[in-house]
Amino acid sequence: MFANFRLSLTWLHTWFGLTLGFVLMVAFFFGSLSVFDREIDRWSLPDTRIEPQPMPSFDSILASRFAMITEPDTDQRDEAAKRVTAPLPGKLTARSWNAYTTHRDPVLLMYVGFEVPNSPLPEDTVYGDITIDPRDGRVLPEDRLALGSGFFYPMHYSLHITWHDLGYWIVGFAAMMMLVALVSGVVMHRKFFREFFTFRPGKRLLRSTLDLHNLTGVVALPFHFLWALSGLIIFAAIYFPVFETSLQPLVDQHEHEEAMHTGLDAKPSGVPGRLASVDAMMKVAKDHWASRGVPGEVGFLSVTHVGNSNAYVSIYRDSTDRVATAEGLHFEGSTGRVIFEDPPAGPIETVNAFLTGMHLQQFKHWTLRWLIFAGGLLSCACIATGFIFFVEKRKHVHAKQGRVGATCVDALAVTTVTGIVVATMFMLVMNRVLPEELARRGVWEKGAFWVAWLATLLHAAWRAPAVLQGRLSKAWAEQCRVIVLLGVAAVALNALTTGDHLGRTLGAGYWPVAGVDLLLLAAAGTAAIAARRLRQRAGDPRTELASIEEAERA
Amino acid sequence: MAATRSRWQVFSRICASTLGSYAFCWGFVALGGASLIAAGLEFHEASSLVSMLAFLLYLTTFCWAFIASSLALVWGVLAWGGALMALAAWWIARLMA
Repeated sequence: MFANFRLSLTWLHTWFGLTLGFVLMVAFFFGSLSVFDREIDRWSLPDTRIEPQPMPSFDSILASRFAMITEPDTDQRDEAAKRVTAPLPGKLTARSWNAYTTHRDPVLLMYVGFEVPNSPLPEDTVYGDITIDPRDGRVLPEDRLALGSGFFYPMHYSLHITWHDLGYWIVGFAAMMMLVALVSGVVMHRKFFREFFTFRPGKRLLRSTLDLHNLTGVVALPFHFLWALSGLIIFAAIYFPVFETSLQPLVDQHEHEEAMHTGLDAKPSGVPGRLASVDAMMKVAKDHWASRGVPGEVGFLSVTHVGNSNAYVSIYRDSTDRVATAEGLHFEGSTGRVIFEDPPAGPIETVNAFLTGMHLQQFKHWTLRWLIFAGGLLSCACIATGFIFFVEKRKHVHAKQGRVGATCVDALAVTTVTGIVVATMFMLVMNRVLPEELARRGVWEKGAFWVAWLATLLHAAWRAPAVLQGRLSKAWAEQCRVIVLLGVAAVALNALTTGDHLGRTLGAGYWPVAGVDLLLLAAAGTAAIAARRLRQRAGDPRTELASIEEAERA
Repeated sequence: MAATRSRWQVFSRICASTLGSYAFCWGFVALGGASLIAAGLEFHEASSLVSMLAFLLYLTTFCWAFIASSLALVWGVLAWGGALMALAAWWIARLMA
């Protein structure tokens, strides 16, 4: 199709990078925020600004709270109702109880898995969850949205498009195209190592943009590649559901053998049974870890085949001290006897668990956490400079020919680069402004996000005709100024509505809230500098003239 | 270069690289998984290995579909290769069950 190998890859890089780049911006921006999801949760739920807590007592707190979760989330139930072959019964049967916590969680997420009868999918399960204060078991209000783990985190891998997992597929394809863009980007540029050290900010926009695109791409190349790849691997079962669909006999056989080997039944017995003290099992597990020289807290606890005589309890150590997630201890529910201990993972599973654990980073290592955050921002910078280069290279030619390509791309770039920050900050501001008692408060917050993002798109489209004339769209600078206002407003509103101003949080060393405030201010400061630079550029007629000449040479 | 590149050809390339590669990788996961399990590798080890490699394979075939000179060859290898591998995997799974 093309004259040579490099031209083919250049075409791939340009067009797939551009079209999926908008999705990648969302994935990497909200992925970066997800590095601090628990901290953003604390900022957005002032009631939960307490120190992280260990897994509470099962017998006195968790058991009764699990029993309160009697049905799955309405959304999940409605989705399941569409895929079953016979109408869903009014009350679904609970199959598993699960509780998960990490060294950064002051609140505990508890969720119950319900069996979906008459489903074409094997092991089809829907979930209902609550969040409790582990100190006293108080159930937190359901309509309060944890902005970090409840909104930004799922946004980065699903775009909140739940219909047939479409969001996962879009993000997955975008991640694949990230890998393609990295490979083609490296092949396109023959001076790979020189680009490590090349940034000429004083040069004209087109040249500096390309320098920065290459620099951010090359410097963080392993990060870009491994995070896109590990993100895909985490959802491999969604992207390649090969075994469950076309190799079912092998799966059945494996399940059967595994149940024989481990003593953990794959199916519920159907005979009612009672649970022995799970607190005693947790004690056994902790003593066991301590005797192995790896003392720790319970990170994940799950009861399978709830209410059946063959129920079993699985207890996992938290992941504070390592990358890969842990092996579990499994207890017979009725007696508390240890049935099985997961053996150390095989070499391939170890690699898989490492890649997954690296992406999900539940370990306790703040330097690494910040480096991963920086890696995510470098990915964003690399993608954003790609957009700008695309527009700058073409806008004068397109302007002469009256083509709208560069104009549309510029408007979408504004929406996904500055617009995404505006919408995020607006959501934080609304989180502090909406009345505390407001019913379905979380829905209003989500609405605020989407409306603000749509507004940035409309604003960018309204300002875009400037690009059609070969000029710079004013939307960039204007949205930067909105970021300055919103960032400062969010910090001020947090101080006003909760009393946790920076003086207090920094003084007390309460980093979850202080950190979010400082990042908001840093973003506002960066946006202020960007807005000033953009205004200087727009006011200097020579830059436009020179960039026309340069674009003609390029 | 531009003269030899019709809209249809570009469209066909894109379909081959996205969907053809997917079919090929599906076949690879199925056949690779089934054969490794048949050869005695533990189930999770086998399924992890092939699904991790599947993404790298997709990356390779996706790029190859654009680089290769013959579009017919691309479609032949990806679609037929994928189908044959899936069929072979189904046959192995049946033999083992």
